[in-house]
Amino acid sequence: MIEEARLLDEITEKEYEEGFVTDVEQEFIPKGLNEDIIRMISRIKEEPDWLLDFRLKAFERWKQMKLPTWGHLRIPEIDFQDIIYYAAPKKDADRPTEIDPELEKTFEKLGIPINERAALAGIAVDAVFDSVSVSTTFKKTLAEKGIIFCSFSEAVKEYPELVRKYLATVVPIGDNFYAALNSAVFSDGSFCYIPKGVRCPMELSSYFRINASGTGQFERTLIVADEGAYVSYMEGCTAPMRDENQLHAAVVEIVVEKNAEVKYSTVQNWYPGDSKGRGGIFNFVTKRGICKGENSHLSWTQVETGSAITWKYPSTILKGDNSSSEFYSVAVTNNYQQADTGTKMIHIGKNTRSRIISKGISAGRSENSYRGLVKMLPGAENARNYSQCDSLLIGDECGAHTFPDIQNSNPTAIVEHEATTSKISEDQLFYCNQRGIGPEEAVGLIVNGYAREVLSKLPMEFAVEAQKLLQVSLEGSVG
Amino acid sequence: MSDKVLKIAAGEQLDQVFVIGKDEVPFDTIVLEKEARANLVFLIGPGVGADLPLKVDLQGPGADLSLSGAYLCTGNDKVDIAVELHHSVPDCTSRQLFKGIADDASRVSFYGKIIVEPNAQRTVALQENHSLLLSYDARVNTKPQLEIYADDVKCNHGATVGRLNEEEQFYMRSRGISLENAKMLQMISYIHPVLDLIVDENLRTSMSEALEKAVHCFIHKK
Repeated sequence: MIEEARLLDEITEKEYEEGFVTDVEQEFIPKGLNEDIIRMISRIKEEPDWLLDFRLKAFERWKQMKLPTWGHLRIPEIDFQDIIYYAAPKKDADRPTEIDPELEKTFEKLGIPINERAALAGIAVDAVFDSVSVSTTFKKTLAEKGIIFCSFSEAVKEYPELVRKYLATVVPIGDNFYAALNSAVFSDGSFCYIPKGVRCPMELSSYFRINASGTGQFERTLIVADEGAYVSYMEGCTAPMRDENQLHAAVVEIVVEKNAEVKYSTVQNWYPGDSKGRGGIFNFVTKRGICKGENSHLSWTQVETGSAITWKYPSTILKGDNSSSEFYSVAVTNNYQQADTGTKMIHIGKNTRSRIISKGISAGRSENSYRGLVKMLPGAENARNYSQCDSLLIGDECGAHTFPDIQNSNPTAIVEHEATTSKISEDQLFYCNQRGIGPEEAVGLIVNGYAREVLSKLPMEFAVEAQKLLQVSLEGSVG
Repeated sequence: MSDKVLKIAAGEQLDQVFVIGKDEVPFDTIVLEKEARANLVFLIGPGVGADLPLKVDLQGPGADLSLSGAYLCTGNDKVDIAVELHHSVPDCTSRQLFKGIADDASRVSFYGKIIVEPNAQRTVALQENHSLLLSYDARVNTKPQLEIYADDVKCNHGATVGRLNEEEQFYMRSRGISLENAKMLQMISYIHPVLDLIVDENLRTSMSEALEKAVHCFIHKK
């Protein structure tokens, strides 16, 4: 109990702990976006021609596309020519095989075990620093089972046929404005392939960090679980505190084959801007998975506490018969943060099931929206969906919104949606205060209880972090 | 603002039923003043279809609105209901209940937005939309939306699109009720909560009879 109190104290005293800048020598390319820049990125990364073509095709599409404006968001104008699309820590020529000690320290500070001596943690990590992946741990252990887990660039070199087979099959290059942009300029990311019948023995994790100023981060993740495979994948992100807004436009694609299962968890903690709403990351992300084969399963769990603006809808296409998907989300916004997040469940196959649990918490002057689509196509016999979206309001200057869209074209399919909006009740607060728990702590306690259904779905390593994050994010929102 | 405004003055009460196809809906905007009460029921029978865009503004504190509708759709019926409800001031209550059945190649789309303005504290806003889908050619789309800018509120919405419950059917059949009759009973009881909101007893009875007839047609044309 005392330990817990000390922990809480520690947490509530800090603002954005991950807001430091690492001083490493970095390699940049010039600002701006044009064909030459794309060719340059491709050349730096020594990419094959097919990938350059892919990028250029995406760029052509992007040029014709318009910014999506349907979100319940106020997005300041973004000058896409004022962004550096590629930044990498310079490699020290003398020690090309080792990680820069400064970088290592950075990841150490963040609590990311990229050194294998942290084997105790039992998680394989792929760490991405600005535009490049700096290290991937546990490669050997994984390789013994035939699992491929490496940076995207490496995958392009080592396993081109696999990458080509699956790249852009779930999120086509012209899917949306930011997906097209990502396809044109993506720098690095993680690639993961679990072969037939293999159960991945450890949690796989990607860690993204934006360090350089004036840059954007555009990573691409591709996860493939072949027949009967299982993997649990985690993703985390942080960035330094800066007064400018930085753009993060990632694409995540997940392919789940017959009888396979993928569990994808995110704790998103990009810099949210200061209490006046200055700075922060624009997090415009496209995440989509396909349950391709029969009985496949994909589960999304996300804890969203960071970013100035979040625009993110992890979605599942339920194509295989009897496939199922879940979406568990906690989104917290404070100060001037804005979030428009939710999911899409597209039911194509027979007996497909999906479940959506979304918990939104808004405080300060923030805006928090749930936006979701549940679509039952004519062939989705006996498909089933259940959605529950709860919003919690803390303070009278914030907003909480729910925008579901339900489309049913099959008389045997059942869709249920339920949403509630309320505030933390005075009774609950009074009960806590009476027992010597201060108002701020009490809110933390109540919020954690409110979000428990989602937090309990996170892998253990993440659950602790997420719980702490919730507390920090809401700091200063009471009283 | 539209000139087709139904304004309910402070402290007044209006109970009205609109049978679409028979009664005209002479407004597209409803305004409720202080402590005004309105209970409006819209009924859409088979073969009629409807396009019902409604804007509602609860302008006076203590206003109370009940807005409901039932739709029975066959053939190529198209039912389009769009309600935009503004809670502009504190202490207002709104309840919405829309239920219906979509058969054949009918199209049902429901859009219901509730906006609770920043100072509209102690708002209670409830909204439900439930549809039964009976045919592979029919489509039901529903978009219940909540936009909330005040914190001391109770806002819920619920939406379902589904089929008749087989367990209920089994219960009735095991007690000697034929499948057809069981389905009829299910459909009647599905829609009836809307009819129960009709205040006029005679009208309620006659609408109830009309519902039974309509449901009978649903079952027996197949």
